[in-house]
Amino acid sequence: MTQPSLHPFTWWLWAIGLAVAIVRFDSTWFTLSCVGVVMVLVFRLRDDAPWAKSFDWTLKLSAWILGVRTIIGITIGVPIPGTELFRLPVLPLPTWMPGIRIGGVVTWERLSSSLSEGLLICSIIVIFGAAASLTSPHRLLRVLPIYIYEFAVAVVIATSVLPQLVGSVKRIRLAQRLRGENTRGFRSWKRVAIPLLEESLARSLDLAAAMDSRGYGVSKKRSRYRPISWRLKDSLVVILAIGLVVIS
Amino acid sequence: MIKFSHVSLIYPNSTTTVLEDLNLTIAEGELVLVIGPTGSGKSSLLRLINGLVPHHTGGILAGDICVNGVSTQMTKPGGMAHLIGIVGQNPANGFVADTVEEELVFGMEVLNLPNDVMRKRVEEVLDLLSLAALRNRSIATLSGGEQQRVAIGAALVTHPKVLVLDEPTSALDPIAAEEVLSILHRLVHDLGLTVVIAEHKLERVIQFADRIVYINGDGAANVGTPEEILMQSPIAPPIVHLARALGLKEIGVTVREMRRMTTHLREAIASHPVADSQKPTETVISFDKLTVVYENQTALNNISSTICAGEIVAVMGRNGAGKSSLLKAIAGVNRPGTGVIKVLGDDPYDLQGKKRREAIGFIPQEPSDLLYGQSVSIECAQADRDNELAAGTTYEVLQQLVPGISLSTHPRDLSEGQRLGLALSVVLSSNPSILILDEPTRGLDYEAKNELTRMLVNFAAAFGKAVLLATHDVELVAELANRVIFIADGDIVADGTTLDVLLSSPAFAPQVAKVVSPQPWLRVKDVVAAIEGMQ
Repeated sequence: MTQPSLHPFTWWLWAIGLAVAIVRFDSTWFTLSCVGVVMVLVFRLRDDAPWAKSFDWTLKLSAWILGVRTIIGITIGVPIPGTELFRLPVLPLPTWMPGIRIGGVVTWERLSSSLSEGLLICSIIVIFGAAASLTSPHRLLRVLPIYIYEFAVAVVIATSVLPQLVGSVKRIRLAQRLRGENTRGFRSWKRVAIPLLEESLARSLDLAAAMDSRGYGVSKKRSRYRPISWRLKDSLVVILAIGLVVIS
Repeated sequence: MIKFSHVSLIYPNSTTTVLEDLNLTIAEGELVLVIGPTGSGKSSLLRLINGLVPHHTGGILAGDICVNGVSTQMTKPGGMAHLIGIVGQNPANGFVADTVEEELVFGMEVLNLPNDVMRKRVEEVLDLLSLAALRNRSIATLSGGEQQRVAIGAALVTHPKVLVLDEPTSALDPIAAEEVLSILHRLVHDLGLTVVIAEHKLERVIQFADRIVYINGDGAANVGTPEEILMQSPIAPPIVHLARALGLKEIGVTVREMRRMTTHLREAIASHPVADSQKPTETVISFDKLTVVYENQTALNNISSTICAGEIVAVMGRNGAGKSSLLKAIAGVNRPGTGVIKVLGDDPYDLQGKKRREAIGFIPQEPSDLLYGQSVSIECAQADRDNELAAGTTYEVLQQLVPGISLSTHPRDLSEGQRLGLALSVVLSSNPSILILDEPTRGLDYEAKNELTRMLVNFAAAFGKAVLLATHDVELVAELANRVIFIADGDIVADGTTLDVLLSSPAFAPQVAKVVSPQPWLRVKDVVAAIEGMQ
């Protein structure tokens, strides 16, 4: 980014505002347009730091959730009457499970309601994923008040180690591909997950030890070398989000 | 300054004591080096100093450690922050800020120092470590040596009395390592800073050390001057092995001392012609006009060469010169921008599955990336299955490489050297024609390195296979390689026999060569052979 970046709280406040507005509006079109705006913002504003790249994975994750949510939504549950799209075979269930049905008629109403519910969940994931990728976790640490320091350490570790994992995943998959292994499909993920978990644990411990031995949290007051100031444009972004909440 | 009195340490779920009844007093302004085999507890000893062990890691500690009168029993690591600066094994994992300047001030901010003090100290540290040009750079974009300097700077801004460093040069090229160590040397002499270092590459640090703590791994520890400890220690730099091989009464720990002691030797022996190794014939790897570009950065610039069967080729160069890019291009990670790579006549990018395993074995920088089994036996069985081998073949290879590994051990619990051995045996079980290793010696002690040398030399000589490795470790190259490709800024600047390339630059010359210069010997055994040849 060429222009000086916003205050680290700005995007998080904005994300909270947007999420509240989306839930209160509960309109598919509003949700879709919000997600669209968020994606445009992230792809235009993010720099090439590791946490910025995590947004791609947020998108993949939410698409996966949407898919799973929709499939479960149309196969399990109470039938909604309406236009019939297609018919699935009904799975016979024991009599002590009345009212639950697996398979059967899939109606347009049912599909659209599953989709819109799934979309709601995904939009919130995408919005907070965007806030995480637009805010440097290190800058966030600098503005968090010191008395919540244990919480702050956890936040910093989670937000700085997890995105670094994206890089590690690439490295490990590469190494395993060079070993001549299949790196596609679900099974290959188990092979990535184990080295990955171990590495992330080691990294988190390292970071926590480093922060500890540099005296983080010892003094309840913290001086500022270059204070991160709250500027007009931060207020504008937050007011915009509050405005959305108010009109919703 | 630092006082260990009757310190014993044992970790939970472990049957061996790391330290037993250690008594050690380190005076102000001393530079103490901690050595020992991998996994012997060097890091534990360092982390005891500021109380990270046991406050952070758990473990049972008996005895007392006092730093400047403050006992770690009563004070947590955070409370020692103004006294002790600590730089971890992998400084990149400990960074808490995005830019160099923010990282430097972090320690002062959390100690709540006033702004005018911070400003003065930042400038002071920037100058001291020559970081001024980097002050606004993002830490993620720095090279390994620069990151190490930033980490040292971040530890120094709080004006600690003690600086503790865990393997500060293991990831650095010889020149960057030299730079970091000379800064430490200056801090000790100008500011009276007390420094404690753990390091495997003794040849780099030994000349700066005032005293050595040798940890055995079974709880025992010896403390003494470098000469005393190195007289008997199995862990010793090549220069000491040279003194022992020559039967000198005293040992020198610096090149200068050794040169004085061996004047007669250099003059007595006429230049011994080096036996010409037979020219290998069969080409296994060739690359022609190879260019690799990453996001506007040219990693490799129009380079061409060939590698033959039976050769052990070391790829050397500064951090970020393009070594890894070359190895990855040959291993077939991406299709190169322009140019042709042929491995056994095929484009490596197209190799898949079994065919790939039989052509190229690749050991990445982190050998554990290849391992995902919950035990050594699962790992070996998986490799057997992948390569359609009889059950137990991989374990046999492992037994030859690193004897005595239990089948039920979890790969994480192995030492660095054992883990490398396991990854190597998994890769070698498919009998590849080419073996590629990316910086295999990070964190390896001398014994593990000798082991690796023996394995690779056997692999190349006995089966006529090619080995290609990227490394910073000059001593390893001298022992192992018969050819060196030197890369700078994406260009091949030198390509020739190990002898020619290593002797042409003092920074990359191994210790033995520096001692016996102008005689063209790289290894202790070359010198011994020359003397025997004369008699």
